[in-house]
Amino acid sequence: CLRSYPLLLHSADYREAFGLFDRVGDNKVAYNQVADIMRALGQNPTNKEVNRLLGMPSADDMTAKRVEFEGFLPMLQTIINSPNKAGYDDYVEGLRVFDKEGNGTVMGAELRIVLSTLGEKMSADEIDALMAGQEDENGCVNYETFVKHIMSV
Amino acid sequence: MSKPTGGGVNDVTHFLASGGAPGSPTSNPMFSGASQADWAAKRLVWVPSDKHGFESASIREERGDEVEVELTDSQRKVTLSREEVQRMNPPHFSKVEDMADLTCLNEASVLHNLRERYYSGLIYTYSGLFCVVVNPYKNLPIYTESIVEMYRGKKRHEMPPHIYAISEAAYRSMLQDREDQAILCTGESGAGKTENTKKVIQYLAHVASSHKGGTLGRNKEAIQGELEKQLLQANPILEAFGNAKTVKNDNSSRFGKFIRINFDVAGYIVGANIETYLLEKSRATRQAKDERTFHIFYQMLCGTSDETKADLLLGTADEYRFLSGGSIPVAGQSDSENFTQTMDSMVIMGFTPEESISMLKVISAVLQFGNISFMKEKNHDQASMPDNTAAQKLCHLLGINVLEFTRAILNPRIKVGREYVQKAQTKEQADFAVEALAKATYERLFRWLVHRINRALDRRQRQGASFIGILDIAGFEIFQLNSFEQLCINYTNEKLQQLFNHTMFILEQEEYQREGIEWNFIDFGLDLQPCIDLIERPAHPPGVLALLDEECWFPRATDRSFVEKLSAEQGSHPKFFKPKQPRGEADFSIIHYAGKVDYKAHNWLVKNMDPLNDNVASLVHQSSDHFVSELWKEVDRIVGLDQVSSGENSGPVNFGASGLKTKKGMFRTVGQLYKESLTKLMATLRNTNPNFLRCIIPNHEKRAGKLSPNLVLDQLRCNGVLEGIRICRQGFPNRIPFQEFRQRYEILTPNAIPRTFMDGKQASELMIRALELDHNLFRVGQSKVFFRAGVLAHLEEERDLKITDTIIRFQSASRGYLARKSFIKKQQQLSALRVMQRNCSAYLKLRNWQWWRLFTKVKPLLQVTRQDEEIQVRESELQKAKDNLTQVEQDYTDLDKKHAQLIEEKSVLADQLQAEAELFAEAEEMRARLASRKQELEEVIGELESRLEEEDERAVKLFPAACYDWNKNLHFI
Repeated sequence: CLRSYPLLLHSADYREAFGLFDRVGDNKVAYNQVADIMRALGQNPTNKEVNRLLGMPSADDMTAKRVEFEGFLPMLQTIINSPNKAGYDDYVEGLRVFDKEGNGTVMGAELRIVLSTLGEKMSADEIDALMAGQEDENGCVNYETFVKHIMSV
Repeated sequence: MSKPTGGGVNDVTHFLASGGAPGSPTSNPMFSGASQADWAAKRLVWVPSDKHGFESASIREERGDEVEVELTDSQRKVTLSREEVQRMNPPHFSKVEDMADLTCLNEASVLHNLRERYYSGLIYTYSGLFCVVVNPYKNLPIYTESIVEMYRGKKRHEMPPHIYAISEAAYRSMLQDREDQAILCTGESGAGKTENTKKVIQYLAHVASSHKGGTLGRNKEAIQGELEKQLLQANPILEAFGNAKTVKNDNSSRFGKFIRINFDVAGYIVGANIETYLLEKSRATRQAKDERTFHIFYQMLCGTSDETKADLLLGTADEYRFLSGGSIPVAGQSDSENFTQTMDSMVIMGFTPEESISMLKVISAVLQFGNISFMKEKNHDQASMPDNTAAQKLCHLLGINVLEFTRAILNPRIKVGREYVQKAQTKEQADFAVEALAKATYERLFRWLVHRINRALDRRQRQGASFIGILDIAGFEIFQLNSFEQLCINYTNEKLQQLFNHTMFILEQEEYQREGIEWNFIDFGLDLQPCIDLIERPAHPPGVLALLDEECWFPRATDRSFVEKLSAEQGSHPKFFKPKQPRGEADFSIIHYAGKVDYKAHNWLVKNMDPLNDNVASLVHQSSDHFVSELWKEVDRIVGLDQVSSGENSGPVNFGASGLKTKKGMFRTVGQLYKESLTKLMATLRNTNPNFLRCIIPNHEKRAGKLSPNLVLDQLRCNGVLEGIRICRQGFPNRIPFQEFRQRYEILTPNAIPRTFMDGKQASELMIRALELDHNLFRVGQSKVFFRAGVLAHLEEERDLKITDTIIRFQSASRGYLARKSFIKKQQQLSALRVMQRNCSAYLKLRNWQWWRLFTKVKPLLQVTRQDEEIQVRESELQKAKDNLTQVEQDYTDLDKKHAQLIEEKSVLADQLQAEAELFAEAEEMRARLASRKQELEEVIGELESRLEEEDERAVKLFPAACYDWNKNLHFI
C-alpha cells in the first residue's frame, strides 16, 4: 500500500486531468483517449501496453467504448508500476543507428520514414508536430538535441 | 513477412502474393501442385517436351547414363540420357518469390515457377539480384496508391516481388549509401519495359514528392506538386510522338530513353532529364502491313476541330501516301480522346498554344511531303513536278517559298570540286530527297519535343544530390534478316549485358580476389568484349562501325564493297561469321550474346550517312515561321547532296567521286553519333548502382494468360537470368564494409565489442562470432564482410526487430511529448477559463447585493464623486495656460533678439550710405575742377592758334613771290 501513496496524493489532480478529457459529460472517457491521459500524467506507455490493459479492443470499440475514472485508475497504476525503462541514452543509441556520417545528425527524411514505417507507426501530422523546427537547412536533425527536446516536457 | 490485412486490400494482395492454397487453379492440370508425398514417392523430374518446354515425369529405373521415366500426363514410358532429366523442386517451393531460393536450380524449374506464378496473376518474380516480369496483357489492380503505400519503406524481402519494391530499394539505397542508382528495363518489344518504367516514375513521384503532408495517404491531387505532375505527363507526350502500333505491341516505343530523376539530400525530387536514343524515324514515312506510324499522326487527324483542320490543311488518313495502311484503329483506344489527353499533358507541361499548333503544323507538313509526286520527263532522266498542290500546301505549312522549294528539289545547286553548279535530279533522287526530308523533319520535331520537356523538368533552384536513372530500351532484335538499326540496338544490348556481367560476375570475382577470399575463379564465358570490339573497335583491325564510316568516304563504294572489306578485316574473328555461299540472303552474321544474328548490308552506307538535300534544308532554316526555322537551326551537320551525287549504278543514290576525303570531320555519321551517345550512357551507368529488370513477353499474340514455354525459355537464356541465379548462389552477393557492418549491426551483438577502440576487421570478426553464423555463409575479406544470398536479409530482419523495440519506446516518448504539450495547452486554456468564470460568478453575486444596487443608482447623483474629476480638468487647463505663457515668452525673446539684430544691420547700411555720398561729392568736385581746367586749356589753344596766324602772315611778308604763287594756287583751288 506504500507504493500507492504518491498516487493517492495526486489522486485529485488525476481526477481533474481525467475530467478534462471527458467531452460528453458522463464522467467517462473513450478508450482511445486513455493512452493520451496517461501521457498527460507523465507516463510513456506504448500503444500495445495500453491496448492490453483495455483488453485488446477492436478499432470500433476504441471509439465507442468508454471507461470511468475508477476503471482508469488501476490501469494508470499498472503503467506507473512498470514504467518505460528506456532513457535518454537508449534513444540516442537507437537513433545513432541511422547516423550515416557519424556526425551526430540523421536525415530528417530518414527519420520521418523510420517513425512512420517502423514500430507503432506515427502519422504525418504527429511527425510534423514532433519535428517542427528540428531540421537544419540541409534537412538534417541533431538527434541528441532532438531527444532532449522530446524529453523536455 | 508482413502481410497487410483489411478487407479491400485482401483482394489485391491475391495478385501480389501467392495465397499458398494447395492446388491453386492453374490452366494446365499437368503442373498442378504435386503434394509433398507424391514428390518423394514418385521421384518426380522434368523432361523436355516440345509442346510445354518441359513436362513432369517420374523415374522408373536408372541404368548408368540412361534413365527410364514415366510421363505423368500420358503414362508413356520414355528412356532419356541423364543430362536431359532435370530434378523437380519439392512442392514446398511452389511459386517461390525468389528463384535463387530453389534447391534445384535448372531451366525447367525456373520456367515452371514463372509459369505457375504467371497463371496465378503473379507477374513479378525475383531471380537472385534482379527481377523478372512477365507481361500480363491485362490490367492488374496492383498499381494503386494504396499498394504504393504498402511498399513504402519496406525491405525487399518483406513484400511480394514488385516493381515498386525495386524502386523502393533503389530509392532507399540512394539515400542510405548516397550512391546514384539505375534501373535498367530490358526485354523484347511488347515485354512491358515502358509500362514498368512508368510505374517506377509513378512510385518515385509519390514517395519522393517534395510536397510533404503527402507522405501518408490523403488526396492524390492535393499532394502532388507541379514538378511531379509534369514528370508524370512526360511519358504520355513522348508516347504520342514516339510510340506506334506494331504487330507485336499496340503501344510500342520506337525509341530508347534514359530518364534521370534528380533528388536533393533530403530525398525529394528536384528535377528530371530525359535522353532519347534511336528514334525509328523511317516509320514516319513507311509502315509494314498492319502497323501504324506514330500515334500523334492519327490523333491529329481524328482529334482536331474542323477549324484547326483547315488551318493545318488536313485531309483524311487515306489521302496520305505516308500512311501506308490508311486509318488503322487500335483496339480499345480512341485516337481523338487520346489527342485531347496529349494536348492536356502538353498544357500541364507548360507548352504554349502556339507551340502546340506549330508542332501540329510540322506534322501535317511531314504528311504533305509524301503527297508530292514526281514524273520522269519523256526524253531524259530529269524529274518534273506536274502537280504542285501538295508542294504548295507543304510550303505554306513550313513558311517557305514554293518556287524556291521546287527548284531546290528538282535542280539543286551542288558543289562540284570548288564550284557550285545546278544539277537536275532524277525522279528516284527527288523521291529519295523528299522522303529523307520528311524523316529528318519528324526527327527534329521529336528532338525539339524532348528538349522542350527537359526544359520544363529542369529545376535548378535546388541542388540535386543524387539521381535515379531509368533506362527503357529495346532488347536484342533477331529477325530473319537484320539491318543497320538492328546492329545498333544489338550493339547497345551487348554493352548493357556486358555491364550486367561486369557488375554481377567479373567485378564480383575480382573483388573476391582483391579481398583475399578463397574462391575458385569461374569463367562463365560471359566476357562480351570480343563481340563489342568486333562492332566498335576503331582500328587494328577496324570494327564494323569504323569500316562502315571508312567506306562512306570512299569514292564508288557500295554496300557490297563494305561487306567485302569487312570480311577481309574481320573474317577470322570468332564472333564473325560469313556465310559460305552468299545467295542474296544474309551478308554476314555476328554471334551476339543472345545468339547468331544474320545481317543484310543493304543500304547501310546511305543509312549511316543519312544524306539530306541541303538546299531545302537551308531553305527551311530561313523559313518565315520561327518555329520551323528553330527546328532547322543546326544545318551544318547535314550530309549534303555533293557527297551523294549521282552515278551510273542501280539504286536511288550512289556515292560520287567528288573529293570526299577532304570533307572528313565536317559532319559525323549516324554510327559515330550513336556510338558517342551510347558511350556517354555507359559512362553514366557505370557510376551508378544498377538494378536490373528483365521483361519477358509471354506470347506473340498479345493474349492474357498464355505463356509459350519455348519463347520464354529463349528469353531467359538470352538475358542471363539463369546464369545470374547460378552465380548468385555460388558467390557472396551481399557485402558490406567493416565500418558499416559494425555501425549497422552492432546493435545485434551488445557487449561483443569492447568499448575501447578496435580496428574494423577485428570488430567485425568478434561480431560474427557473437552472431554464431555458419562459416559457409560468410567470408571476411580485407575491408568487407561477404555473405551468401539471404544471410544479410536475415540479419536485417533481426536488426529491424531490435531497432523496432527501441523505436517503439522512442515513439511512446514522442507521443508522450505530444500529449503533454497538448495537455499543457488544454490546462492553460482551462485556467484562463477559470479566471473568467470566477470573475463572472463574482459579478453575478455582486449584481444582486442591495448595497451595490443602491450604489449604482446613487453614484451618478453624487457631486462629491465628481470633484476629483473637476480638479483634474482645471489642473490640466492651468497646465495648458502655463504652457501657453512660456511659449509666448519664448516667442517674445526670440523676436526681441531678432529686432536688435535688424537694427544693427540697419546702422551698418546707413554708414555705408554716408560713405557713398561723401565719395560722390568728392567726385563731383573733381569733375568741376577738371571742367574749369578744360576751359583754361581751350583758351590756351585759341591763343596759340591766333599766334600761328600771325606767324603765317609774317612768313608771307618774308617770302612774297612764293607766297603769291602759293596764294594763287590756294585761291585757284
